[in-house]
Amino acid sequence: MTTVLAPVTGSVVGLAAVPDPVFAEGLVGPGTAIDPVRRPGRVLAPIAGVIRKLHPHAYVVVGAGGRGVLVHLGVDTVQLHGEGFRLLVAEGRPVRAGAPVVAWDPAMVEAGGRSPLCAVIALDAPPGAVRPLVAAGPVRAGTGLLSWDAGC
Amino acid sequence: MPERKVIVEAEVGLHARPAATFVQTAAEAPVEITVARPGGEPVNAKSILSILALDVRHGEAIVIRADGDGAEQVLDRLAAIVSGP
Repeated sequence: MTTVLAPVTGSVVGLAAVPDPVFAEGLVGPGTAIDPVRRPGRVLAPIAGVIRKLHPHAYVVVGAGGRGVLVHLGVDTVQLHGEGFRLLVAEGRPVRAGAPVVAWDPAMVEAGGRSPLCAVIALDAPPGAVRPLVAAGPVRAGTGLLSWDAGC
Repeated sequence: MPERKVIVEAEVGLHARPAATFVQTAAEAPVEITVARPGGEPVNAKSILSILALDVRHGEAIVIRADGDGAEQVLDRLAAIVSGP
């Protein structure tokens, strides 16, 4: 079993709340979303592994057994071309679970007219394999968010 | 092996919706399918992790290969997704 940690502090709202159907309909994969507290902060690695792909607004960490977790910061934030985001590690580097990966300010994203909801996706996981550890409500960065069953 | 070389037309590249639709379509086909940059290492077209990690941008070419019954049809569908806006 893999425990996926919350990358940000905020309130768990579920994927359906993300105002982007690609996430809301679960097309990218199962997972959840966090409405982040509106203050500058560091976004954490959800699992231990290697930063397989690092964009300012999104990154993938691949851990034991090749399991990949996508953290996507805000909706349509690819359009910001990295403005307001600062990378704290390099692509290809190993990270421990809970290590800071990106610095951002969700309030700035929101001020620009975009949703700052943070989607956390278990890539290639069958839907039944992922359970929420926090279904809704407050969550602190670095604490358990999702449980990803063994063998899936 | 049947293949298609296509240019990724979506503004976001093979990410977000195009990537999700591509992987979903590939996963429904009962044949092996790979994607590669021309001359590059092929990755599993049915894995969203592999496709996101391949990180194909707008305007880049990819080669999609499939083998087995219905390969031509699924390649046509995948090529249409990639070459759509």
